[in-house]
Amino acid sequence: MHINELHLKDYRNYEDLHLFFENRINVIIGENAQGKTNMMEAIYVLGMARSHRTPRDKELIRWEQPFSRVEGQLTNRHGPAKMEVIFSKQGKKVKLNGLEKKRLTDYIGACTIVMFAPEDLALVKGSPQIRRRFLDMEMGQIYTVYLYYLSQYHKILKQRNQWLKDVAQNKTAKNEAFFEVMTDQLVEAGAEVIQKRFAFLQKLENWAQPIHENITQGTETLAIDYVPSAPVDASMSTDEIKTALKAEYVRLFEQEIRRATTVLGPHRDDLKFLVNGHDIQVYGSQGQQRTTALSVKLAEIELIYEKTGEYPILLLDDVLSELDDSRQTHLLDTIQGKVQTFVTTTNVGGIHHEMLEKATMFHVTGGSIDQTD
Amino acid sequence: MQYPQPISKLIEGFTKLPGIGPKTAARLAFYILDMNEDDVMDFAKALMNAKRELTYCSVCHHITDTDPCRICQDKDRDPSVICVVQDSKDVIAMEKMKEFGGKYHVLHGAISPVDGVGPEDIYVPDLIKRLQDETIQELIIATNPNIEGEATAMYISRLVKPTGMKVSRIAHGLPVGGDLEYADEVTLSKAIEGRRQL
Ligand SMILES: Nc1ncnc2c1ncn2[C@@H]1O[C@H](COP(=O)(O)OP(=O)(O)OP(=O)(O)O)[C@@H](O)[C@H]1O
Ligand SMILES: [Mg+2]
Ligand SMILES: [Zn+2]
Repeated sequence: MHINELHLKDYRNYEDLHLFFENRINVIIGENAQGKTNMMEAIYVLGMARSHRTPRDKELIRWEQPFSRVEGQLTNRHGPAKMEVIFSKQGKKVKLNGLEKKRLTDYIGACTIVMFAPEDLALVKGSPQIRRRFLDMEMGQIYTVYLYYLSQYHKILKQRNQWLKDVAQNKTAKNEAFFEVMTDQLVEAGAEVIQKRFAFLQKLENWAQPIHENITQGTETLAIDYVPSAPVDASMSTDEIKTALKAEYVRLFEQEIRRATTVLGPHRDDLKFLVNGHDIQVYGSQGQQRTTALSVKLAEIELIYEKTGEYPILLLDDVLSELDDSRQTHLLDTIQGKVQTFVTTTNVGGIHHEMLEKATMFHVTGGSIDQTD
Repeated sequence: MQYPQPISKLIEGFTKLPGIGPKTAARLAFYILDMNEDDVMDFAKALMNAKRELTYCSVCHHITDTDPCRICQDKDRDPSVICVVQDSKDVIAMEKMKEFGGKYHVLHGAISPVDGVGPEDIYVPDLIKRLQDETIQELIIATNPNIEGEATAMYISRLVKPTGMKVSRIAHGLPVGGDLEYADEVTLSKAIEGRRQL
């Protein structure tokens, strides 16, 4: 899949930008604060109907303007497609081939995206929340039913936590029959979320392992483990996970009442990356963490290909120069000729010459972009 | 903006209605000023009469101008089956379909801790009391197909099942139209917030 044309109207610092791309590597060069990340974000928005860095859509509208539009013409497995996202004070609208879609799940997936930004380097070392976010965003893109269960889960969790809080403050009766109903609902959705995460991580690991081994010239074996807060494991069926979760909630009933919150479930789960059997969150060097993040992102590209039959668009914001020559070469091998890639940098000095030779260059200054040869 | 007092009162009245913001309220209020006096009079009377003459049925809690309501009084309807719904407008929607020949029980809401609504705050206890009547043999629960409607249905079924009564569930609820369905959005927004704190 690739984007042929991008049209931004009053998006961030772009007043009116119209660009044409080829199915290859595109390097966007510019000083700080000129609009490189904004441009990457716009492509992300085109595919995902939301920004990767803010939940507040109105920040995307150029200052003092009433609305903003991101429009793209692309070619995917079904042929040419036109995608459009419009933000205004009233909210946002998405259109696919000129038809407005009322449900996001009918829009997302037409243009899959893998973004690798400096924040992703925190995937290994950062908080569990970052890793859960990674799971939710990446899985949501390719499995719409995952999004469904996840949103159900969060709605039930909110109700259940409110009830626990109200009971703690004597605002509501301790109606255990009703609490059990909420627990059953939570278990239903939660078990689906957990089972799907196990399955996804298994696939991700299968793809990431050979990639990681390759990048490290066979010296490192990568493993990715799901760390559940309940006694469940990857070998269990969804029904078995339900039974185990339910039993754990029953066992921890008094504790949940005391702590006035839901103490276990997918919202408390985590991931672990192991290199040669050691947890790299604890033992990994900076370089190992970076390599792991890269392996995982490259694995995602393959996973999306396996699932959808076509490669996603790869966005590399400010990370290429963070990778040494051999890693860049490896990256190039993976994407060459198949993955349309957008790279930003302030300075071409950090980019491998082979990559530059294959790229179309764009210069960005203060919200305008020129193509250079 | 400062409006003369009679207008701001009217605007204030409109903003109390569901789905009406201050802008729409102002538009409606000014529209009324332009209407002819007889029409305004009829409208005001209709509002008052609806409020004065309509009450809730003491048996099923459906809105009615007689008590018990016409459905509860109807000898041709099967008194052994009761359909449990969230709102009076669900009864009206079901009656339009003309498929159901039993009686109703209107809960006036669904259990939702987030909205401060517990099982005792809607007509659940009243339903349980009503079920002591031996003529009732079957319960069809038609609360909305969302988390709260589902929880309410499961809760009622849990209370009623031990009595051996037949309980079934149909998801009926009108689809919520309008804006983009951002059900999955809340969750993802949270995920994004997480990214910010880096
Ligand atoms: N809604 C908006 N309207 C107008 N301008 C905006 C808006 N949002 C952000 N900007 C401006 O866009 C500019 C460019 O931001 P961007 O993050 O794309 O920079 P960058 O080129 O990636 O820089 P860096 O190299 O530092 O990462 C910022 O200076 C910011 O003030
Ligand atoms: Mg940037
Ligand atoms: Zn009645």
